[in-house]
Amino acid sequence: MVNITIDGKQYEVKEGSTVLNAAQEAGIDIPTLCDHPSLTPYGGCRLCVVEVDGMRTLQPSCTLPVGNNMVVRTNTEKTKAARKFILTLLFSERNHLCSFCVVSGGDCELQNSAYAEGMSHWPIQPTWQKYGVDSSHEFMVLEHNRCILCRRCVRACGELVGNFTLGFEERGSRSSLIADLGTPLGESSCVSCGTCVQICPTGAIIDRWSAYRGNVENIDKTLTICLGCSVGCGIDVFTKDNNLLRIEGNWDGPVNHGVICKVGRFHPMKEDRQRILTPMIRKNGALKAATWDEALDAAAHTLKPAVGQANSGVAALASTRLSAEALSAFKQIFADGFHSNMVTSIEEGAPTAITAQLADELKTSFEGNLEGLLGSDCVVALGINLIDSHEVPGFFVKRIHAEGTKLVTIDPSSNPMDVLSDHVLKGRKGSDLDLIEGLHAALYKKNFVEGAAPFDVEKILAKAVIATGISEKDILAAAATIGQSKKAYFVYGKGITRNNDNRALKALLDLASSTNQDDSRNVLSVKGQANSVAASRLSLDKTFEMNGHKVAFIAIGDDEPSERLIEKVEKSPFTIVQSSYISKLTAKADIVFPVENWLESDGHYMNLEGRLQKANKSLQVEENIKSNVEVFKELADRVGLNLAENWEVELTKRTPISCEIK
Amino acid sequence: MPKPKVATDWMCGCAGCHMSLLDIDERILKLIELVDLRSSPITDLKVPDECGVDVGVLEGGINNTANEHQAKLMRSRCKILVSLGDCAVFGGVPAMRNYFTLEEALRRAYIETESTDSEGQIPSHPDIMEPTLVRAVHELVPVDIFIPGCPPDADIIFYALAELAQGRIPDLTGDMLSWGTSTKS
Repeated sequence: MVNITIDGKQYEVKEGSTVLNAAQEAGIDIPTLCDHPSLTPYGGCRLCVVEVDGMRTLQPSCTLPVGNNMVVRTNTEKTKAARKFILTLLFSERNHLCSFCVVSGGDCELQNSAYAEGMSHWPIQPTWQKYGVDSSHEFMVLEHNRCILCRRCVRACGELVGNFTLGFEERGSRSSLIADLGTPLGESSCVSCGTCVQICPTGAIIDRWSAYRGNVENIDKTLTICLGCSVGCGIDVFTKDNNLLRIEGNWDGPVNHGVICKVGRFHPMKEDRQRILTPMIRKNGALKAATWDEALDAAAHTLKPAVGQANSGVAALASTRLSAEALSAFKQIFADGFHSNMVTSIEEGAPTAITAQLADELKTSFEGNLEGLLGSDCVVALGINLIDSHEVPGFFVKRIHAEGTKLVTIDPSSNPMDVLSDHVLKGRKGSDLDLIEGLHAALYKKNFVEGAAPFDVEKILAKAVIATGISEKDILAAAATIGQSKKAYFVYGKGITRNNDNRALKALLDLASSTNQDDSRNVLSVKGQANSVAASRLSLDKTFEMNGHKVAFIAIGDDEPSERLIEKVEKSPFTIVQSSYISKLTAKADIVFPVENWLESDGHYMNLEGRLQKANKSLQVEENIKSNVEVFKELADRVGLNLAENWEVELTKRTPISCEIK
Repeated sequence: MPKPKVATDWMCGCAGCHMSLLDIDERILKLIELVDLRSSPITDLKVPDECGVDVGVLEGGINNTANEHQAKLMRSRCKILVSLGDCAVFGGVPAMRNYFTLEEALRRAYIETESTDSEGQIPSHPDIMEPTLVRAVHELVPVDIFIPGCPPDADIIFYALAELAQGRIPDLTGDMLSWGTSTKS
């Protein structure tokens, strides 16, 4: 700890922290522009200058480390004049006329800074030099005329997303933000996560959808979670007059710390499926609008004979985008009430079910979490592509990889992570088990594991070489990288859990624990959709088949049915669908219940780490649309079942996959 | 004490700031009790008195030689000069033109406009003013008080004029500056 005096008051602060952080912790406000709490200090804008005793000139507080007995003044005539002058220069460089800028009126940090300094005009008028506009990207526009060259976007793209698409070319007033080596953004290596849009302090990077539709002063903000996949990123949903305006990553989100991907930020803006606004019943071959009472009564009439029919009653399927509350009610009706042997959720190949079964079998949880992954110095990715799905953990991996973490990619198929990897092990299809065992043997051979191997090292290694077609040299090299790391983390996907075969997973656990030096968990799977883990805790995790059932009940919610599901339902004599949107599935239904979409519902979700989080509704639903839980309740009433609301207890009935995070 | 004399004029703007002035509604009667409005574009007298006024208010930026004359005349005849609105303070929306050459801007306006027929031509006569770069008022003459906003809120205009009428310099800070945010909704 060191002593520092800020504005006449003494504080004790941690050594190595910056003067800006010290002041912020003491509750002293120093204006900033290029600085951002989630990024490394840059010292580009100089707005945060302070006076320091004994130093000849003003110092940027964001990059100045505290020194013992340092005396700092943050708000003097000299700093105030300097700040005004800095802003004057910034305004003079490019086009910062607020009256025709999309972010003015509360969202612009440059404008807000000028107000805070009491600037009523620009002492130096702009140079009126024209800069380009890059509107080649599907979701974003680069407006170089609004850029203040703070490099927040560049730092975010590299430090937070690990993508390093954005950079700068030229110098001085010709400095220009570029993608890659000057490629139009829309054709660049950009992954469309939009972190740059969110972090830009001015209107230099704007998102097409929400532009000119309202600023922070007159729109509503709801903190909730993204339901795009099993990661469960914290997001802020911005709405105005019950319309979705934009989505941002929540900087305090415990899972994602502000970063989200295109699935969370931009894809909801593209939603163009047709909403279902009324219950419908098939009459004379066509779906006709009905009242809720008619539809629920018709459903109850069809379902009642199925009570107690385990094999030939109702086959029930729920989307894992439904809340834990809804999934629990669903399970109580169809598994506990109807005693059907086919009550499950849509996972279609996700590794959740096999992983959960193994946890049950071992009677212990064995997975770690994303925080652990971020602290790893060697990531081994098995049968998983973190570039195209579950992108945020992918960003984490790319981020730490840039900081020196090694990456080993194991996937028989071509994988976009290959180009980033230090070792790419491409075995023959179906040879995952042999490769994992081979790596384990290689660790013994290279003496990275203490003690004698419980198997014949040379034999296993030789078997792996034959089965995978990978040379022993390559296997040993990858094993050496894993063995030399302090904390190897094994991330796996459906690639190694195919065909309900858990042998590769078991071998992986052995491999992972042999590299584990501090006994904390170092395995993590990415699961399926938003509530994949909760569905598995409720044992809703078998593969859906009609298997001779007479009625199919599909609670698809706002999910999009796959072709495979539609094919399976085709065999059903009678189909009841609970859906937000018109789809090929509802076209085949006999009864349709309209339900809320994700932005309209409250409910709990369990992410891939087993973290229970609440989703909060940000939009009001149309009058004639019910929540999934409401439909289940009314249906239960009509078939004479009582629903308990103990979904939280239901979730604790199986061995958790990962250690609990509160 | 005689009432302070006030003159206003508009240049390269849209008259919106004067409309916002009228948006002070019935308070305009109170204001007229406090000041002697000598000239303005919306009254009979258009030019400030030769013997001078206390407060001159200019709306709009300077985009031609005629505006230059107006601004210099107002400055020479008033004690306190007020720049009213974004065009006077920054150049405003007309300053978008500064990103093009005058030739390009005139061609777009008089020849290429969708509603112009084949006879369209750029006006040129020794008697009409010469267009220039769009400038903020303070680029040409010293300005004492800046009231930004597009347009500035009626409440802010009333506050500023009422202060001036009572011999005080208005203190425009905080919310008074941030048009389009908390002062408006």
